[in-house]
Amino acid sequence: MADTAWVPDRLVIIGITTGAPWFAAVVLTVWRRHARIVGFTASFVSAAASALLLRAAPAGESLYEALMLLFSCLTMGATLVQPKRDCDSRTIGGILFLLGATLFAYSSSNLLGFLAAWILSTIPFLVRGGFRARSWRPAAALSVSSLALASAIGVISGSGHTFSMDNLRGGSPGGMTAFGLLVTAVVFRKGIFPAHAWVADAAEDSPAIPTALLLNGHFGALLVAKLIVPLFPHTVGTLFPLLSWFAMATALYVAVRALTENSPRRLLAFLALSQSACILAGLESWTSEGITGALVHWFVVTVSTMGLFAILRLLEVRFGENLTASTHLGLAEHAPRLAVCFAIFGLALVGLPGTLSFCSQDLLIHGTLMSHPVTGIVLPIATAMNAFSIFRLFATLFLGRRRTGFTHMADALPRERWTLAAGVLFVVLGGLFPNMIVAQRSADADTVAKASHPGAQNASARPLLAPEKPLTVVPGRFDFQGH
Amino acid sequence: MSLPQIALVFAVMAPGAVFALLGLSWLLGWVPSERVLSRITALTFASCMFALVAQLWTLGSTGAAAVVVTFGNWFAVHEYRFPLVLMADHLSLPFLSMTIVLSGLIGQFSATYLHRERGFFRFFVQLHLFAFGSLLAFAAGSFDLLIGGWELVGITSVLLIAFFDQRPAPVENGLRVFAVYRACDIGLLLGVFALHKWAGTASFAGVLPKLPEAQSTVVCLFLLLAAAGKAAQIPFSGWLPRAMEGPTPSSAIFYGAISIHAGAYLLLRVQPLLAQTRVASACVIMVGSATAIYGTIAGRASADAKTSLAFASLTQVGVVFAEIGIGWRWIATAHILGHALVRTLQFLRAPSMLHDYHRMHSAIGGEISPTGSHLEDLFPEKMRVWLYRWALDRGHLDTILDRWFIHPLLALSKLLTRLDSVGRSKTVTRRMKPKLSMRSPAEQGVE
Repeated sequence: MADTAWVPDRLVIIGITTGAPWFAAVVLTVWRRHARIVGFTASFVSAAASALLLRAAPAGESLYEALMLLFSCLTMGATLVQPKRDCDSRTIGGILFLLGATLFAYSSSNLLGFLAAWILSTIPFLVRGGFRARSWRPAAALSVSSLALASAIGVISGSGHTFSMDNLRGGSPGGMTAFGLLVTAVVFRKGIFPAHAWVADAAEDSPAIPTALLLNGHFGALLVAKLIVPLFPHTVGTLFPLLSWFAMATALYVAVRALTENSPRRLLAFLALSQSACILAGLESWTSEGITGALVHWFVVTVSTMGLFAILRLLEVRFGENLTASTHLGLAEHAPRLAVCFAIFGLALVGLPGTLSFCSQDLLIHGTLMSHPVTGIVLPIATAMNAFSIFRLFATLFLGRRRTGFTHMADALPRERWTLAAGVLFVVLGGLFPNMIVAQRSADADTVAKASHPGAQNASARPLLAPEKPLTVVPGRFDFQGH
Repeated sequence: MSLPQIALVFAVMAPGAVFALLGLSWLLGWVPSERVLSRITALTFASCMFALVAQLWTLGSTGAAAVVVTFGNWFAVHEYRFPLVLMADHLSLPFLSMTIVLSGLIGQFSATYLHRERGFFRFFVQLHLFAFGSLLAFAAGSFDLLIGGWELVGITSVLLIAFFDQRPAPVENGLRVFAVYRACDIGLLLGVFALHKWAGTASFAGVLPKLPEAQSTVVCLFLLLAAAGKAAQIPFSGWLPRAMEGPTPSSAIFYGAISIHAGAYLLLRVQPLLAQTRVASACVIMVGSATAIYGTIAGRASADAKTSLAFASLTQVGVVFAEIGIGWRWIATAHILGHALVRTLQFLRAPSMLHDYHRMHSAIGGEISPTGSHLEDLFPEKMRVWLYRWALDRGHLDTILDRWFIHPLLALSKLLTRLDSVGRSKTVTRRMKPKLSMRSPAEQGVE
């Protein structure tokens, strides 16, 4: 049980968590100096407040608090690792604005609040002078998703006469219309096939690190976990597998697509999309393993893709913006630490043993195969292709003949090195000692599963698996207990 | 914990700990000298060997069947558990001993062989990671844990193939090997999932459960896919000559000794299930026999020493597969041990042997006499020519894989690229180009 005696009012902390980055963003628009320090301080305050919230959260209901802490830490890392040339008040202000909106979405239990956070998070990517891409597709997809969500919330509130998510729980307010609109919002925001192309466009045209933050907000998965599953448990039972199949199709589609992609940014975007589509598939699997795997994978994908995009940006700053995966660049010779971090983050994304994703993939594949024995095979196949693509990207960027044309380029600077090292430590230590993270997410998974099956005590109430047989110890063997 | 248990944990974990320490020291900016590195390696494997000898001695004196160390569950979600169990029994002990002895040997050999090589430190770090992965796979008490070690062996194998990364060919070949490994590992994942689903456990620290024949067949066929990929059995044999791009010591330990036999170990582990299903046993025998024949024919047309040895290795592993399929478990184990030791010696001797050969060649001032008659001389001329061409192209295995699998997949990918570019302006559309190498190792100049 969490010790809550000394924790101030929850609403106050949420106000600090979301307000600090917005306040800092406003400060930066007025006082355009020391952007990195302001950004770091604001995200640090958000992280500290999120940690307080997480500490106070009861067991099994800490998913959003944990995500808030993760996203705040991610932004804190982003402000540190952001190259000097990108570290202007406009970019840091945009990142902080995105942080505030994302935290607001995680913490909101009100439909209007959630809608406002959803729309606000897209604004930096819609306005000219912000992070808007040259291609029209990102702006269109984000706008359509916002429109669909606004319409869905309009229908839901019209039917349920309230904006409180708790009051609407389990009532299927708005029926099929609202459900369809919410799924549309998920498809466009998450980049589910056939609305997937905008993700790669955004990654290629927009600033790398803010785009990685936008993608790692995982608003689509958030909408599923926060709104669709609790509000539409009965509809979910019949129609949700459709979304799951689309998610698996997306995972496979973009994995195949990535095989011949030569733009490193687009390639990374496809890999991030493919792996994050697995999260949706896991959430839909209805097995405690699948949902837990999806929630743990959420963490892994977030940290790994953020690390990969950050390293790619650091390479672009050092070696030129036109990096390509069509020839071997041999950058490991110049930046060996960036190469090692890239390899670890990349392999962590696709289930390297010893990293947290090995556990999450194990649970995810197991859960998905349990619920969809035929279509579930898609996930290991997509993961295998993604592993090939990430290794190809690593090989072309870092291996090969030493690149000439410049005398010396710095490897990771201390602030970059320690930030990346923190990310590497998270995925590696999380992988070596996964029980704490998995146990917490397992409790959260039960909450999600209970929301989709109101009658069930926990996710395992559904007869999924024969109980594991205890280990049989052959007489004469030494066992740990010394029997 | 008893002494044998401590010894088992130490033997498995020590190379992993050294890998972690070396990696950390590098990140902190300290790289040990060649002498320090080789001494650390020697000390590590010597102490591992000492621990293993202590374990063997205790087991021999007490007559116990196995040492089992249970650490509980690595992680658990309701009924689904990932047991962390290490086990050394009559099957895993020979493999553990082989891994430790040969890794130590390779470490000593490489200290001289790779002296002043650019990637000296990298090689030794990866050698420790490989040893840890192999020991974990061989000492695992469950298929779940075996996957962990199995994947680490695969990753280090690929990284060492791409060791000479200044040339594109090793990197491209490493990529190709990685693709085959990952594709075949899907079989391992699905096999372990099927075991969990039907047997309720993937642990073999106890006794493997009995399954109905149909279910046993499915599990064994999935695991055969994984084993065939790792052991370069037909139809995945094409990657083995490509893997010869790595430094000779790594070729020796991976493709002469340990990695190439990991697939056989997997099948030996699952042999009780394999014995329940005639279909899977027949498949194992067929795959092994076909690979043995393929290996011996293709090896005869290989122009370089390492590739010839790789094909010779392939032939023996094919025979081992057939032995396992027949059910000759202990013969297969003895065959693996003997083969691994002899082949490692041959691989390590190959570079100096070539040197000696050239010296002898020039010393006698002419051609060395041919080695004598061959079995293929009995075939008619036409068939010999056909076989020669078939062997020269390595059974067309890579061509078949490329034509029927890789090219269609890349074509599909390019089609999807075109579909995705609909609606994008031309200024932001980049040219796409497939990167998988379609060149054979011979074209890439494998030495």
